[in-house]
Amino acid sequence: MPSPASGEGERTHKGVRACAMPRGLLAGFSLNFGGQMMLKIDNLHVRVAGREILKGVSLEVNAGEVHAIMGPNGAGKSTLGNVLAGRAGYEVMQGSISYDGKNLLEMDPEARAAAGVFLAFQYPVEIPGVNNTYFLRAALNGQRKARGEPELDSREFLTLVREKLKVMQLSPELLNRAVNEGFSGGEKKRNEIFQMAVLEPRLAILDETDSGLDIDALKQVAEGVNALRAPQRAFVMITHYQRLLDYVIPDFVHVLADGRIVESGGAELAQELEAHGYAWVRDRKPVEAAA
Amino acid sequence: MNAAVAPFVESMRNAALASLPGSGIGWLDAARREAMHAFVSAGLPNSRNELWKYTALRALERRSYAAHDDAAATPAVDQGAFALPSITGPRLVFVNGAFRANLSALDGLPQGLSLRPLSRVLPENPEPLRFALLARQDREPRDAFAALNLALASDGVVLHVTEGAHIDEPVHIVHLGAAARHDIAWNTRNLVELGEGARLRLIEHHATAGEHAHLSNLVSDFVLRKGAELDLVLLQDAAFGGSLLRYSQLRMHEDARVALHALELGAALSRHELHVSLDGDRARAETNGAFALRGRQHADTELLIEHRGRDTASNSLWRGVADGRARGVFHGAITVHPGADGADAKLSNKNLLLSPDAEIDTRPALEIHADEVKAAHGATVGQLDERALFYLRSRGIGAEPARMLLVRAFCALALAGVQPPALREHCDALLLAHLPRGEEA
Amino acid sequence: MATESRDLEALLNRRYSAGFVTDIETDSLPAGLNEDTVRAISLRKREPEWMTQWRLDAYRHWLTMTPPHWAKLNIAPIDFQAISYYAAPKQGPKSLAEVDPKLLETYEKLGVPLHERAKLAGVAVDAVFDSVSVGTTFRKELADAGVIFCSMSEAIREHPQLVKQYLGSVVPQRDNYFAALNSAVFSDGSFVFIPRGVRCPMELSTYFRINAGHTGQFERTLIIAEDGASVSYLEGCTAPMRDENQLHAAVVELVALERANIKYSTVQNWYPGDENGKGGIYNFVTKRGDCRGDDSRISWTQVETGSAITWKYPSCILRGDRSVGEFNSVALTHHRQQADTGTKMIHIGRDTRSKIVSKGISAGHGQNTYRGLVKVEKNAANARNHTQCDSLLIGKKCGAHTFPYMEVKNPSAIVEHEATTSKISDDQLFYCRSRGVGEEDAVSMIVDGFCKQVFRELPMEFAVEAKKLLEVSLEGAIG
Repeated sequence: MPSPASGEGERTHKGVRACAMPRGLLAGFSLNFGGQMMLKIDNLHVRVAGREILKGVSLEVNAGEVHAIMGPNGAGKSTLGNVLAGRAGYEVMQGSISYDGKNLLEMDPEARAAAGVFLAFQYPVEIPGVNNTYFLRAALNGQRKARGEPELDSREFLTLVREKLKVMQLSPELLNRAVNEGFSGGEKKRNEIFQMAVLEPRLAILDETDSGLDIDALKQVAEGVNALRAPQRAFVMITHYQRLLDYVIPDFVHVLADGRIVESGGAELAQELEAHGYAWVRDRKPVEAAA
Repeated sequence: MNAAVAPFVESMRNAALASLPGSGIGWLDAARREAMHAFVSAGLPNSRNELWKYTALRALERRSYAAHDDAAATPAVDQGAFALPSITGPRLVFVNGAFRANLSALDGLPQGLSLRPLSRVLPENPEPLRFALLARQDREPRDAFAALNLALASDGVVLHVTEGAHIDEPVHIVHLGAAARHDIAWNTRNLVELGEGARLRLIEHHATAGEHAHLSNLVSDFVLRKGAELDLVLLQDAAFGGSLLRYSQLRMHEDARVALHALELGAALSRHELHVSLDGDRARAETNGAFALRGRQHADTELLIEHRGRDTASNSLWRGVADGRARGVFHGAITVHPGADGADAKLSNKNLLLSPDAEIDTRPALEIHADEVKAAHGATVGQLDERALFYLRSRGIGAEPARMLLVRAFCALALAGVQPPALREHCDALLLAHLPRGEEA
Repeated sequence: MATESRDLEALLNRRYSAGFVTDIETDSLPAGLNEDTVRAISLRKREPEWMTQWRLDAYRHWLTMTPPHWAKLNIAPIDFQAISYYAAPKQGPKSLAEVDPKLLETYEKLGVPLHERAKLAGVAVDAVFDSVSVGTTFRKELADAGVIFCSMSEAIREHPQLVKQYLGSVVPQRDNYFAALNSAVFSDGSFVFIPRGVRCPMELSTYFRINAGHTGQFERTLIIAEDGASVSYLEGCTAPMRDENQLHAAVVELVALERANIKYSTVQNWYPGDENGKGGIYNFVTKRGDCRGDDSRISWTQVETGSAITWKYPSCILRGDRSVGEFNSVALTHHRQQADTGTKMIHIGRDTRSKIVSKGISAGHGQNTYRGLVKVEKNAANARNHTQCDSLLIGKKCGAHTFPYMEVKNPSAIVEHEATTSKISDDQLFYCRSRGVGEEDAVSMIVDGFCKQVFRELPMEFAVEAKKLLEVSLEGAIG
């Protein structure tokens, strides 16, 4: 089991107290699965429209781990997800992101996708007239081609899709509609997870995939995620509420506030947050900063 | 253009330029002579002119009008002919085109508001008006009626709100037509300017005292300086026999806002060409209107919205109803000029055709020269929803009242924003009274 | 990404693949236009005297007309005396077997094989090269079904009664400036006659090719579907890359009698000129369908990617009760291309219906205008129209314009128009890319999605061709 990012933290029975910035946080407990270091974010500073949103975020994610990033609105959670996927308009001022030892920030969005990075969008985009199946096949084959793997013909692809549909309990009718067009909020989110299931990424970032879902849809999404948990795959779940974490138990929970990770710990940290609210971490932030 | 001068043109040409206010001022006399020449040589617009495509002036061309008549300008008029509920603020009244001090209310104007008739301002202090009077003629290609107006405008509104002043009481401008021995024609020129951050509520009210077939030709310029806000109600309830030609231009500087509501009810021939130019960044215009026509009425609204600044917004909602042998024309053109990134333009025009002899012609148009743009328009012509009608009737409402209810609701959307509420209710009542067979409702 | 729009521009740097010239001996008239030119064309085509007179009538009227006023088009005046009005390969074919191999090769290169061996399955093709038809495939199969599909020249000689009855009955000689010119000098085109009750057993197609320099192409197409007949017809067009502007002024007339159904599809890929606006075809076309019989139906589908200037309004006159008119259009303008296109739906009969779907794509300095008229006449009770016009803008220097006219004189009609303008959003592009779809593919995918509604209306083979054509237009991708 890899050791925490640094030894500066102090272990408590409740979790791991975050350490001084910018060297990062303690990445957690020793669990009996896991693997290689996959993602390493070091002292990341990001500006959006001239305003600094991330102010020194450090995070390490190993294969097989599930990390939850929680935090109040405006903390910079979605910014982190978008930077990882390579969206335009996010200016990295300082710091680095390495993925499999490569500089992620230098890669185009499609190259990141081919390398196994997947962002489930907070607001999935509608693309009128473009058939869902066609889109997904173009995406999968685009990625396979970039990886030097053979492309799937339509029969192979359809077999794969049917199998994944079953797992996701989605209606096949969804496949024949245009990408996200006229989908309900829940359908859009489930479609994201369905895409993830088909594309089988190695690093999946779920940006508020739980928001706007009723309890049944939430369970379905969670089941979809759990089904994909695997030793070679890591998840970063960005969420405002703890309730998704009742169904997808994270290995680590990090609290992002005002552009910094102010608290890290195990799954129980989420419950603590739920009980005390974000004010609880905000209150202690000055103490940490002083440390 | 034509060898034989039309009677209309002839009757205008004979107007006595010398009796106009401000006569004797060199630049003004020159401009008036030049404009008259332009008018006579251009003749009236015809259907080859896209902005006049659906409004033929052949009948007007054959008519002639008396230009100025002192007797016509001073008939006794009852206040009730133009009173509006809850509107008790500053008022400027013109009867058959001439300012009437005894009907106006200009005492104790609020701080920051200057409101005077053109016929008084011109002889006293013409220089400040020079640019405003002549400028538009240089900017826009000449239209025959604009030229005619410049040549013969004898009165109008000169209104100014100083920087930062908020005029809360609505200002009521009345253009009243009163019966006279002859059919007469008059030209009115209005100049309205709101200084930076100024706010104004203005009602342009066309009313009538007795039936007549006069012609009135108005040109109005509105300038909204940075951050100014204008709430404008155009209530057109002119005489059924009259002709009313209007050209209004709103020039909006950055962060200026206008909310406009127009209700077109009267006149045999009514045409309003309304230019809204969003020149400054973040300027916004909300324009709404409705017309209800019957008999042989012809009403034409030419709404031209130009986005020039960045992040400008326009939203337009117009409704039209035509019954009898009436013809309603709507043209809503949105132009987004190069560089007007961030423009957001919406236009909706819906019309009801209630009679086999009525006609609706509508043209929404988009001209887009920038790519960071959201623009959408929609237009429909149809009739009342039979299911809604049936629903109302099945609840015990008679066929005609049910019809009225739906027509009224159809138009009401365009008038929902009229302020104050008492004025909105009054507009609604006027609309109802104008609807075909409205009296049964 | 600040580079995104620049990439998009690069992405649009198309290659025009049909721009080659066929080296073939041509018999052409010298440039210039007068009554002798008109007589010479008629003579070369061995036309009867009535046809010559018909042409001369048109010519004499044309002389009295003035060129149209170009509302949104930026166009230099055309010198009608600098154009040659007739060009034909010297070796005139009698049948396909005798066609010059160079010609066959030309069409093969364009993807339209004419050999008996390699013919397009299920599609009969009439190939028009410059001013004449060089061959028609599947003649026997069509004749067995009673369908007449031949060149217009042949129809004038072989079926004079039909031509006399219908030619000019939808687009009169004097209809407009370019229709009058066409009536005077038209060289060839296709003639289709589907007799009563016959469903044409295969798709009919005409492939137009301008080859010779300094020539105009003035084809004339006439399609008649008798009671209960139906036909699907497609035209394709290409031309070599030349620095000059060449004029193409065609007239297409469709006549649908009772219960007849005509589907007319166009994939127009005339040479558009280069990125600076040099060269390219002026495409001024009058296309009109007459739903003369009750329950008839005419549908126009067009994919317009070529030409320097396109000016055409395929229209429907809905005369018969319950007749139906449709217009589906994709128009792409790039570089300095200008398109002013749309339709007219004239509702005259009762319970008539029309549907308009227009998709405009503007890139580079391209200017794309939809101009349409929906007119409901007084007696057209229960007329219905729905119009949808969408514009897609790619880049800051292009323009997209929508000018619909709605004139309604019947109170039971319902006429609806909606239009939107948008650009390919950065969000859509990023979404595709984050799923692993490259930028170039993402753009063509989004554009294809935008056009989907129209492509659906094309016959299968041509939908594929149209899609490819758009992809080629969007090829050249990211720098």
